[in-house]
Formats: sequence, structure tokens, C-alpha cells
Amino acid sequence: MIEMPDNFPAISDLFRAILAIVCGAIGTYLLLPHPHGRIKARNVHILGVGLTALGLVLLASFWNAPASLISGFFFYLFGLSALGGAVLTVTSRNPVYSALWFAAVVLSTAGLFLLAGAQFLAAGTIIVYAGAIIVTFLFVIMLAQMEGKARYDRSSRSPAAATFTSYLLLWSLVFAVLCLRVPVGGVSPATNQASLANRLRPTTYLLDIYGGQMGSRSINSVLRESVRPTALLDPRKDRSKVADADPTIPHVAGLGATMFTDHLITVELSGILLFVALVGAIAIAQPKKPIRPTIATPSA
Amino acid sequence: MSSALINNAWLVCVFPLIGALVTALAGRQLKQHAHWPVVVGIGVGFLYAFTLLLRTPEGKDLVAFSWLSVGDSLKVPIELRVDGLSTMMLSMVTFVATLVAIFASGYMAGDPGYTRFFTLFGLFVFSMTGLVLSGNFLLTYAFWEGVGVCSYLLIGFWHEKPAAAAAAKKAFLVNRIGDVGFALAIFWMWKVSAGHSLSYLSILSHEGLAALSEFDRTGISLLLFWAAAAKSAQFPLYVWLPDAMEGPTPVSALIHAATMVTAGVYLIARSSALIVGSPTAQLVICVTGCVTALLAALIALTQTDLKRVMAYSTVSQLGFMFMGLGAGVGTVAQLAVVAALFHLFTHAFFKALLFLASGSVMHAMGGVIDMRRFGGLWRRLPITCATFALGGLALAGIPPMAGFWSKDEILTALNKASSVANQQGGPGWGVVYGIIYWVAILTAFMTAFYTGRAFFMTFFGPEKLPSPNDPEAEPVDASHDNGHGHDDHGHAGHEVGHESPAIMTYPLIVLAFCAVFVGMIFGPWTGWFEGQIETMIGFHTLNPSEHHGGHEWDWLSIGVGTLAGLLGLGLSYLFYGQPSPIPGRLAKAIAPLYRLSLDKFRVDEFYGLLIVKPTTLLSKIAAFFDTNIIDNLVRLVALMPRLFGRDLLAPYQNGLIQYYAAVTAFGVAGFLTILLLF
Amino acid sequence: MNDPVELFGFDMMTNYLIIGAGLMTLGMLGFLTRRNLIVMFLSAEMMLQGTALTLVAFGRYHGNWSGQVFTIVILTVAACEASVALALILVLFARKSSLDVSLWQELREPGLRAEPVSVEAMAESYEPAPGPESYPHLTPAGIEPAHPGPHGNILPR
Repeated sequence: MIEMPDNFPAISDLFRAILAIVCGAIGTYLLLPHPHGRIKARNVHILGVGLTALGLVLLASFWNAPASLISGFFFYLFGLSALGGAVLTVTSRNPVYSALWFAAVVLSTAGLFLLAGAQFLAAGTIIVYAGAIIVTFLFVIMLAQMEGKARYDRSSRSPAAATFTSYLLLWSLVFAVLCLRVPVGGVSPATNQASLANRLRPTTYLLDIYGGQMGSRSINSVLRESVRPTALLDPRKDRSKVADADPTIPHVAGLGATMFTDHLITVELSGILLFVALVGAIAIAQPKKPIRPTIATPSA
Repeated sequence: MSSALINNAWLVCVFPLIGALVTALAGRQLKQHAHWPVVVGIGVGFLYAFTLLLRTPEGKDLVAFSWLSVGDSLKVPIELRVDGLSTMMLSMVTFVATLVAIFASGYMAGDPGYTRFFTLFGLFVFSMTGLVLSGNFLLTYAFWEGVGVCSYLLIGFWHEKPAAAAAAKKAFLVNRIGDVGFALAIFWMWKVSAGHSLSYLSILSHEGLAALSEFDRTGISLLLFWAAAAKSAQFPLYVWLPDAMEGPTPVSALIHAATMVTAGVYLIARSSALIVGSPTAQLVICVTGCVTALLAALIALTQTDLKRVMAYSTVSQLGFMFMGLGAGVGTVAQLAVVAALFHLFTHAFFKALLFLASGSVMHAMGGVIDMRRFGGLWRRLPITCATFALGGLALAGIPPMAGFWSKDEILTALNKASSVANQQGGPGWGVVYGIIYWVAILTAFMTAFYTGRAFFMTFFGPEKLPSPNDPEAEPVDASHDNGHGHDDHGHAGHEVGHESPAIMTYPLIVLAFCAVFVGMIFGPWTGWFEGQIETMIGFHTLNPSEHHGGHEWDWLSIGVGTLAGLLGLGLSYLFYGQPSPIPGRLAKAIAPLYRLSLDKFRVDEFYGLLIVKPTTLLSKIAAFFDTNIIDNLVRLVALMPRLFGRDLLAPYQNGLIQYYAAVTAFGVAGFLTILLLF
Repeated sequence: MNDPVELFGFDMMTNYLIIGAGLMTLGMLGFLTRRNLIVMFLSAEMMLQGTALTLVAFGRYHGNWSGQVFTIVILTVAACEASVALALILVLFARKSSLDVSLWQELREPGLRAEPVSVEAMAESYEPAPGPESYPHLTPAGIEPAHPGPHGNILPR
């Protein structure tokens, strides 16, 4: 009998996760365009949609419903529409539809941001991304429609391998999430710490190589600190006041205060980055003369 | 004043070096005056050395600075030894070198490599003076290699000529054989000497010698002699010296007659305190010297190339010196060392003289050196003839020439050795030394004979100048195609048969003066030379002779030696003074022996068969192994990058961004899975 | 937060992490398979969305603003990427009049065979699709704009 680590997911969970991933993978593969651009039969499409939906539902079964019904409803709505929209973005033959589905994904994400208490980000995402998406959309119309249907949109590159790779990564991530354990009392429970230590064994092994100790502190103490809420890192702050943000402070105001005090340089750098990208985009997009001008240009 | 003079003895070797550097750097600007820096440098060096010679009261060790220092086990300081021996050698080397340089400035005029010649010349003098001044075996070794390199470069000076290039290569390789012996000797000395010191002072002092076992002494002595045998052209390593005559004549005169080839003798004499501790080594040295002297003299009897006669004569005389060194058994030790060094000293003058005179003849004959192609030149070349005659008399050992005194001393030492060797070595040793003594006298006779033969063939008899239709003449085109015939450098159009210019004859005259008087001035008559040698390290540890004060004359040796010389000269006059049928008939009578001597006893062919052929075969096998096995292995290794890079991995760079992204993504997914599951 | 009743707990965080992972990997899938430059670009944006979601969830769970600040930086970078990428796509399209990424594979090892570009070369037979995939037609309005020519210069009318 193999000794399982105590944080190993339940076998049923694992099986469900594998099933979800396999269903999703097969469904997505069936939905993707044929590599040689052949038309897929309608039945294949339907099967693909069904399998993908099954996989999605199975994946959603890992979600823990929020306590409140309203927010639970919205969470499921946004979550499912985000993932479903993502699948459709990827699999649509028509780039216009892809863009539209992507807009749906962005909107769902914005909703999820809202549910996570990031109102400013939700608004920002909608504004920025919607703007960007509309621009993209216009480009698609402007460029692609001129030639009618593009054949390269109807064929995909090695869909089987790509699907396998992507879903392998997804499975790894889901597995990692399933390995996480609820911290008892909210603050770094021993199991969680052990689970991290266990999952990060190669890393701790490396740390062992580098002396087994970081300064005078043992690995365990380092891990303990890495798992506990960052709000506790500053001992001057009172946990009860800081944890879920001060209710007296409006959310956006808190974010703004943080951004323009603690992360001022980040903001400045972002501004510079935007500016540079602007300059770069203009420089790139400007219609240029040919790189090699014709030689016969007698000077005036 | 005096101590400052001695403390700056290093200047003697620095002056020629500066001269050489100036010539090397400014040679293009100096053009035909390129010899001046070197001549002046060596001349100043000589003046300094001569002042030292007059002032040196006792030996002194100068340590300039630490050169190599490896922990406690190896410390090699730049250490100079100034004593009677080194100052005497310094004076001799710089004096002869100055004269030869002056001679060469006339002889080499017009040669395209004029600057190169004098640069190398200056470098050689630097190395040689450094070798003589060095007070440390390792430093000596460094300069030993230095003179070897200069010798190699100067023998191959006309490297367009295949014979010269081959001769240079041969000289270098044979010298390498000797260098191995020197290196082994140094390793051995390093191992056994107190404090791993390699300086003369610590090894050759009384305490240093007492620390060595009999075995060490014999081993080191034999290894040192191995080195000396190569450098000083002793049997069986003498073969490079006759071939070295392919170099310019001044080089032959200075390096391959007067100075570098005596480095071996100098080394053994330096280490004589060590060597007298091993009678076995002494016997080996003495027998080798004897065999060399006899063999070279026999070859010299029949050679027709004037320079080659002189070369074999040099080998023979070096054999004499080693005979003298080897004779230093028991109470003869001091006498023997002095005798050998004195012969070295006098020989330098008269042999340089003979070579320069030969060069003068060659210069006048338009590059021809075969004695059969000219004759009766005394009328045309009076100065050359006279100086050659004086040098020849000195070589033949006719009193009161320089050669007489030194040869007589060696004979005396050998004679005494035969009487004392029995107590020192064992029964029968006395007989061996006795045989060597008589062989030496025979060699002296032959020396006189071939010297006379060379002289009479060149300067006596009916006058004859080289002409292309001479039966002995080399094919003309063969000697002129490669730019330089045999030492023929830009003499085209030069009228043959004239006396050399003054710049060449004055050195001859000075050297002739030395060949006559140097024996009397420095020799046993005055005891000056012996007095100088006394300050050598370890000289007093040698067993002193019973007789103190004043030289002990061995009238038997004087008489027999002189008689042999006169007899040889007389016989040669009889044979070659006038055209005579006797030599031809004699040669016919003993035809096999004559041929053998003419072919130099086929030693070169023997070496070719025994050493060169197997080596060539071995190198061919090695080359085969290298090209077919090693190279293929290397190619196999070189194939790996191509295999992995081009054939295996290059297809992954196919220009498709998505392909790259897929590989990256797969890597991330794969590694994450492995990390989580295992 | 206006509704502080509900704490954003551990369970909520794992929910967000799963959604974030899903968005990320689906975006990756799109980037790997689709040949249209614009769709590839959309997929890359989707990967960023997934990451942003994860960061926000973490920040919320830990009760500080770092996750959101990080997300804002991601947003900024995404905007920059959008501007530069769209400019590049414009130039590329001007060169070859196509959005197919397979047309841009010149930067490969010499001597390698290029991946086939046209569908015809990939498939033996290709039947033109009458299917449902057709582009919506916009109602023409106003003056028809000057179309960029095949070499990026504005054609004279």
C-alpha cells in the first residue's frame, strides 16, 4: 500500500478531475477546425459541444458555492460564461466571433472581479479591454473581410498535440489546487504548511542544499511565513482592521491610496511603458518607404 | 672601486645584448653600418672583462635577485660567479668575438641578411658570456640553451640552402640529446643537494660535495659529461660539428671553434671538484676524449674541404681537452684541470685564426673551399698565408707557439695520470692511461700532419686558381641556383685571387700575434693562468700535486710531443710541399682505410641506419595513427555537434512562432506535472 | 466593501484559481492552434485575463491590495501589447495581405522545408464551405474609405 501524503486529494476527486479534463480535451479537440481545413460533420460539432459542456460542468463541480445565494448565482454565471466563452473564442472559425466571445470572457471576468471586491479593476477591465476589443474587432472587419472567408481560419495547427499540452497543464494546475487544504482558523494551519512543504519537496530539497537553513530560521518557519496572510506580515497592523479592508474606507480609495503610496514607482513605470508603447506603435504602423530605395535618385 | 667593478660584472653580457637589440631595431636605418652596435657592444664588453681579469683577486658570488622561487624546494636566483675562471673565459670570448665581428663586417658585406647576422651574433655573445658568468646550474642551463639556439640560427643563416637548413637541424637535434643529460643532471643535483640549492657555490663547495654519495657523484658527473659531449662534439655526438660548417665562416670561427663548443669543457672544468670524486667518470671522460681525438684526426687526414679539416681538427682538439680533464686522477687533478682549460684558452685563439684565415682564402677564391681546386696561393695572399702558418704551427704544437704549451701540459697530465691511476682507480687503470698517453701523442702527430697538409695544399705548390672546368668542381648551376653556393654570397663578378681587405686581415694579424704569444704570457712560464684558475670554486678541494711552487716540466712529454709535431709537419711537406706521387700511391696502397677515412668512417650513415631510419619509421606509424585513428576520433567528436545541432535539433527551429510556443508550453506542463506527481 | 457579510474565504479562492487556470490554458490552446494573427493575439490576452483573475483572488484572500496593483500593471502591459501588436499586424498585413501566421516563417534554419501555407497544399482535397461561416455585412455608410494598397501605400482614387 502506497503511503499517500495526507493532503493528497481524495481518489474520487482525482477521478472527477481527470474525467473533467479528458472530456473537455476531447470536446475541444472535436470543436477545433480540422488541421487540413476539412469541414467537420455537424454530429461531430454536437458531440464536441456536449463533451466540452460536460467537462465544464465537471470542473464547475469543484467549485464551492458561496454562502449567499445571489453572489453564488452570479459566481456560477460568470465562471461558466468565462470558461465557455474561452472555449468558443478559441474554436470559432470566424475571427469576428472569436472577438465577440472574447468580449464575453472579458465581461465575465469583470463580473468575477466585482465578486472578488475589485470594483475598480472590474470597471477598468471593461473600459480598457472593451476599447481594445472594439479596436481589434474593427481591424478584423477592415482587414479580413476584404478577402471574404480566409482559409487559414478554417484550419488549425496540430490541434491534437496542442490540446494535449494545454489540458495537461490545466490538469496539473487543478491537481495543485485540489492539494490545497483549508487553513484552520484562517491562519497557516499545520496541515497546509505540511502540504506546501510536501508539494514543494524539490524546492525544499534545493534549500537543503543551500545549507538547510535560511539565516538562523528553519525551513518550516520560512514556509509558515510564506503561507500566512500577508496582512499579518506587518506586526504593527491589527488583523481585524486590515483583513478585509477597512469598511470605512471605500474600496477604490483604498486601492488608490496603496497605488500612489506603496506602489508609486510601479505606477510611474507603467506610465512610461505606455508612453513608449505608444511611440513604438506609431513608429511601427507608419507607412514607410521601401527599405531599399531605388538607387537612381539623382540629387537636385 | 674594485668591488663596484666586480658587482657590475653583469654589464659584460649586457653590452652585447644592447648592441644586438640596437642592430635588430635600427638595422634598416643602419644598412651597411649594422655591425657597428654589435662590434662596439662586444668591444666594450671585452674592455670591461679585461679590466675584471686584471683586478679579480678572489672569487665572488653575486646574487642579483630571485628568479624562480617555488616554495622552499626550488629557489633559483639570478646568480653570477665572478672568479678567475669566469673572467678569463669572458675576456677570451669577448676578445675573439670582437675580432671575429670585425672580420665578419668585411666578410659578410653585401649579404642581404647582414642585420640578422649581427643581431644573432650579438645575441650569441650575450648568451655565451651569460653562460660563463652564471653561478647557478639552472641559469647555466638557460644560457646553454641560448647559445644552442643562436648556433642553430647561425648555422642555418643561409636557410635557403638545403644543406645549411639540414645542418642546422642536425646540430639542434644532437644538442637536444645532450640537453636531456644536462636536465637530468640538474634534477639529480636538485634532489641530493643541501636545501635543494642549485648554485655552484653550494654544490661544489667542500660541504656540498661531502654530502653526496659516491653513486650520486658518478651519476651526476656522467650526466654532465653527456651534456658536455653533445655541446663540445665528443664521440659519439660529434657528428653535428663538421656539418655546422655550412654556416658563414665567422660563425664557424667563433661559435664552432672558439667559444660555444668549449662550453662543455668549461662545464666539466667548472664541476671538476665534483668529477674528481668519481674516478669512473673520469676514466669515461678520458677514454671518450681519446677516441674522439683519434677518430677526428684520422678523418681530418683525408678531407679536401679546408673548413672541414678545421672542423675535424676542432673535434680532435676538444677531445684533447677532455683527455686532459679526464686525466685529473688523484694528485694530478689540479694540473689536469689547468691544462685542459689552458688548452681551451689557447685553442680559441689559434683555431679562430685558422678558421678566419680559411674564410679569407675562401673569400679570395670566390667561395671555393675545396683544396684540390686551388694551390700555391702564398704569393697572392701573403698575409693570409703568414697568419695561417702561425696558426698551423700553434695547432701542431711547435714551441714556442700557444698550442705547444697547452698540449704539453695535457700530455704531462696524462703521463702523470698513468703513474698514479693505479692507486686511485684500480689495477690496470695505469695501463689505460698509458695507452691514452701514447694515443694522444699519435694524435698530435696526425694533427701536425693534417695541418701541414692543409697549409701546403693551399699555399704551396704550383699556383692554381679555381676554374669551372676543374674536374673536382661542383656543377656550376647547382651551386648558383639557390642563391648561395657553398658560402658564396654575392661574390658574383668579384675578381678572385686577391688578398682580403684590411678589415679582414687586421683581425688575422691580431689573432696570429695571440697564437704566438698567448702561451708564453699566460702559460706555465708565468703561472698567470694557473693563478687565475685557483680562485675557481672547489679548486682547492682537488688534491694538490706534491710539487709546490713553480711548474714541473715533464721533459719526456715535451720532447716526444714536439718531435711528433715536427715529424708530422715534415712528412706533410714531403707529401704536399711540392706535387708528389707519394700521397696518391699511399692512398692506393691502403685504399680501404683511405676510403673509410674519406667517408668519415661512415658514422653518419651508421646513425642514419640505426637511429634515423627507425625514428622515421616510428614517426610514420605515429603519423598513420594520428591521421587515421586520432583524427577520426576527433572528427567523431566534431560530428556530435552537427548531429545534435543540425540533424537533430535544427529542424525545431522552423520559423513558426506557434511551434516554439508549443514546445515551451509542453515543457511547462510536463515539468509541472512531474513536480506535482513525483 | 459594501457587503462585508461574506468573507472571501479559502474556498472562494480555489474557485477563482480553477477559473484562472482554465482561462490561461484555453488561451494557450488558442495561441498554439489558431493561424489567424488576430485570434492568436486574442488568445494571448485571454491568458493574461486568467492570470489577472488568479492575482486578484490571491490579493483578496490575503486581504491586501498587492494583487490588484499587480493586475493593474498587467492591464497596462496588455494595453501596450495591444497597441504594438496591432501595429505589427497592420504592417504584416500590408506586406502580404493576409493574417496567416504561417506566412511568416522565414526566420528558420536554412535548408529546412517550409511548412505548407495554403490549405490546398495541406490537404489533398478541399471542398469550399458553403456552411454557416460567413461574415456579417455592415451597412455601407458615407464615403468609401481609401483602401490600403498591397504595399501599405494609399492608392490614389
